[in-house]
Amino acid sequence: MNKNIILYAAILIFGVAAPFVFPAFKVQLSILCILIILAITWNVQGGEMGYNTFGNILFYGLGMYLCASVQVGMFFPLAEWTEGGGEKTFVHTPAQFFQGFAVGLAVAAIVPAIVAGLIGYSILGLRGHYFAICTLGLGVAAGEISGGIEIIGAGQGFTTPPFPKVGSLEARGEFFYFCSFAVLIFTFLAVKAIYSTRFKLVLNAIRDNEDKAEAMGIQTMKYKIIGWMISAFFCGLAGGIMGGLVGYIDSTDVAFDGREMGVFMVLMAILGGKGTLWGPVIGATVFHIFKEGFWTFFLGWQYVALGVLIVVIVIYFPEGIMGWLREKYPERFGEVVDEADRKAQVELK
Amino acid sequence: MKIKNIIITFVSAIAILFSTSVVSLAKVVGDKIILGAAISLTGKYSSNGVHTQNGYNMAVDRINSMGGVKVGGKTYMFDIIYYDDESNPKRAAQLAERLISQDGVEFMLGPYSSGLTKAIAPVTEKYGVPMVEANGASRSLFTKGYKYLFAVLAPANLYLDVAIRTAVELNGGKGVRIAQAFEQDAFSQDVRLGILDAAKETGSKIIIDDKLPKELNDMAATLAKVKATKPDVLVVSGHTKGALTAIRQIAEMKVDVPMLAMTHCDAAKLSKQHGANSQYALCASQWHKTLTYKDDFFTDGMTYDADFTKEFGYAPPYQAAESSAALLVFKDAFERAGSFDQKKVRDALAATNMQTFYGNIKFAEGGQNVDKPMVLFQVMCDDAGKCENKVVAPLKWASAELIHPIPKWSER
Repeated sequence: MNKNIILYAAILIFGVAAPFVFPAFKVQLSILCILIILAITWNVQGGEMGYNTFGNILFYGLGMYLCASVQVGMFFPLAEWTEGGGEKTFVHTPAQFFQGFAVGLAVAAIVPAIVAGLIGYSILGLRGHYFAICTLGLGVAAGEISGGIEIIGAGQGFTTPPFPKVGSLEARGEFFYFCSFAVLIFTFLAVKAIYSTRFKLVLNAIRDNEDKAEAMGIQTMKYKIIGWMISAFFCGLAGGIMGGLVGYIDSTDVAFDGREMGVFMVLMAILGGKGTLWGPVIGATVFHIFKEGFWTFFLGWQYVALGVLIVVIVIYFPEGIMGWLREKYPERFGEVVDEADRKAQVELK
Repeated sequence: MKIKNIIITFVSAIAILFSTSVVSLAKVVGDKIILGAAISLTGKYSSNGVHTQNGYNMAVDRINSMGGVKVGGKTYMFDIIYYDDESNPKRAAQLAERLISQDGVEFMLGPYSSGLTKAIAPVTEKYGVPMVEANGASRSLFTKGYKYLFAVLAPANLYLDVAIRTAVELNGGKGVRIAQAFEQDAFSQDVRLGILDAAKETGSKIIIDDKLPKELNDMAATLAKVKATKPDVLVVSGHTKGALTAIRQIAEMKVDVPMLAMTHCDAAKLSKQHGANSQYALCASQWHKTLTYKDDFFTDGMTYDADFTKEFGYAPPYQAAESSAALLVFKDAFERAGSFDQKKVRDALAATNMQTFYGNIKFAEGGQNVDKPMVLFQVMCDDAGKCENKVVAPLKWASAELIHPIPKWSER
C-alpha cells in the first residue's frame, strides 16, 4: 500500500512539475494526457466489456464542437462567428473566455453521455464484428454531417476563441496542460473507483460470456449502456480540451478524426494491454513517445515506422505490454506459480 | 506489488528521455537564418505539399548561391527545418508549436492549404513569429486581425470571380446559370463564396450547389445533374484531386457544358495527365510563366519555369512559384529591417512593396497581397494532341483568345 502512495505521489509531482521542468514540451504533454484519457475510456468497452468500438471518436468530436460552440455562443452570435468570410472579429474578455470554457466543458461531457445512451440503446444489441463495423460508421457519418452544418463552420472549419491576453506567453500552454492533466486524474480515479465495484465484474462477465451473464439475471443491456455513457462523458471532456488546444476544428481532420485518433485509441489500449487499469496509460505513453520520435527522425516515413511497430506489437506482444509483463513476472502480479505444475503443463504441450 | 517498481522505473525513464531530447536551435546560428515550415509530405495534400517544398528549396538554393542575405553588414544563408504535417490541421498546429518552442525557430514559412494555415496562424500570432505564407488563400485568414501573417497570394474568393464575369459578358451582359461543386474544405468553400458574390452582382442564378467530400474520387452524381439541367457554367474546386476527378468523369460521361471553370489545373498537371480530355478547361491561377514580372534572382517567369523543370523534372505549378516568392519577400524584409528582431522584421514585412518574377507584392492591413491579380488560363491542344495552358484573362497578359462555348463532345 505504501508503494502505491509513493507511486501516485510521484506521478502527481511529475505531472504538476512537468510544464515548468520541460516548458518546451507543454503541448506534447497535454496531448499525451488526452491520449491517455482516450485509451482509458476505450478500454472500458474494448478491454473490460469486450465490445470493440470505433465509435468513441464520435463523443470526442461532439465534445470538441460543443465546447467551442458554447464558449462562443454564450457571448456572441455563433452564426456570425463561424460565417465563411468571418468579416466580424469578436474578442472574448478573459472572464468570458474562462466562463465559456467551463460551461462548454460541462456541456461537452454531458451531451455526449446522453447521446451515447441513446445510440447505445439502439446498437448495443449488436455483438462482435457487427458492433465494431456499426460504430465505425458512426464516426464517418458524424464527420460528413458536421462538415455540412453551416452554423459550426461546415467545411470552412471552426476557429475556437483565441486565448485572452492574461499572464505570460506561456499562460495558454499551461492552462490547457493543467486542464488536460486534471481531467486525466479525474478520469483515472473515476475509472479506478468503478473498477473496484461489482460493475467491473459485470462488464467482465459480459465479455467472457454474455448469454451466461444474462442467464444469471444480469441486465446486460443496462450495464452496457451505462459503460458506454461513462466513456462518452470522459471522451467529450477530452475533445473539448483538445479543441481549445488546437485552436481550429475541422470536421473530419480534427474533430471526427476516426482515421487517426479513432484508431490510435484502440492501438494504445492494445499496446499497453487491454483489460487492465494501467495498460492504456502505459500504452498511450509509449505510443506517443514512439510517434513523436518517428516524426522527428523518419520524416515522411513515420507511418511506415508506425506500421512496423504495430506489426511487432501484434506478433510479439499480442497481450500488450502489461500482458507480456504478467507472463514474464507473474509473481509480481500477485499470481502464485507452482513450478512443478507449470513444468508438467509445458511437458504436456 | 513489484509491478509498481516497473512503473516507477518507466516513469523516470520517460522523464530522462524528455530532458535529454531538448534540442534548442536558435533562429540564427552562425551565418544561418533558420526558418521553420510544416509541409504536407503525406496525406491528401501531399502532391501540393511537395510543390510547396520544392518552391521553398529552389529559392533557398538560389538566394544562397547569389550571395545570401545581408543583414547589418554580415552575410547570412537561409536554411529551413521541415516537418510533415500529414495534411492534418491538428498536427500542423502542434508542429508550429514545436518549431517555435522546441526548435527555437523565430521566422516561419507557411504550410500548404488554407485549412492548415488557419490552424498554424493562431500559434505564430501568439508567439509573435512572423510568417510569410504562400498557400493559404482563404479570406477568413485575413479578417481575424492577425498581425504576423503575410500571404503573397490573392485571396481565394477572387479565384474564379473573373470566370463568372467573363461568362456573363459573353452572354450579352445577362446573368448565367451556374452549376457548382466544391470540396468541403476552407479553401474551396471560400472560392464558393466568391462565386456567390459574383453571381449576386451579375444577376446569375445558381442551379446546382453541391458539396464534395474530402477524399474526393467521385462526383458522378453532380455531373448527372449537370447533364440534366444544362447550366451555362460549371465550376469545380477541390484541390488537385478535385481537378483530376472532374476532368476524368466529365470525359467519361461526355458532359457538355459551355464553360468549365476550375482551380488547381496546373498542380494536377491536367494537360499532361488527361491530354485532350482536359481541353478547354478554364483555370484560375495565381501565376503563369508567361507573365512579364521580373526580379534579380529568377529573372522572369520563363526562366523560372526552365530552371525549375531542370531541377525537379516537371514544370512548376503556381504553388511552387508562390512558395519561391515567399523567400524573396523574407530576404527583402530582413535586409530592410537590418536586424533579426521579430517586431522589426514584422514591420518591414508590412511595408513590403516589391516586384518578383511571380508578381507584385504589397500587403494590405489583413496580410493578403493586394497588388497581384489572378489570371485565368485555358487548356488548349494542337492537332497532334499536345496540350498547353494559355493565359486568356486578364487581357493585358492574354496569349490566346478564350474559346467559348466549349465544343460538344460529339463534335470533338
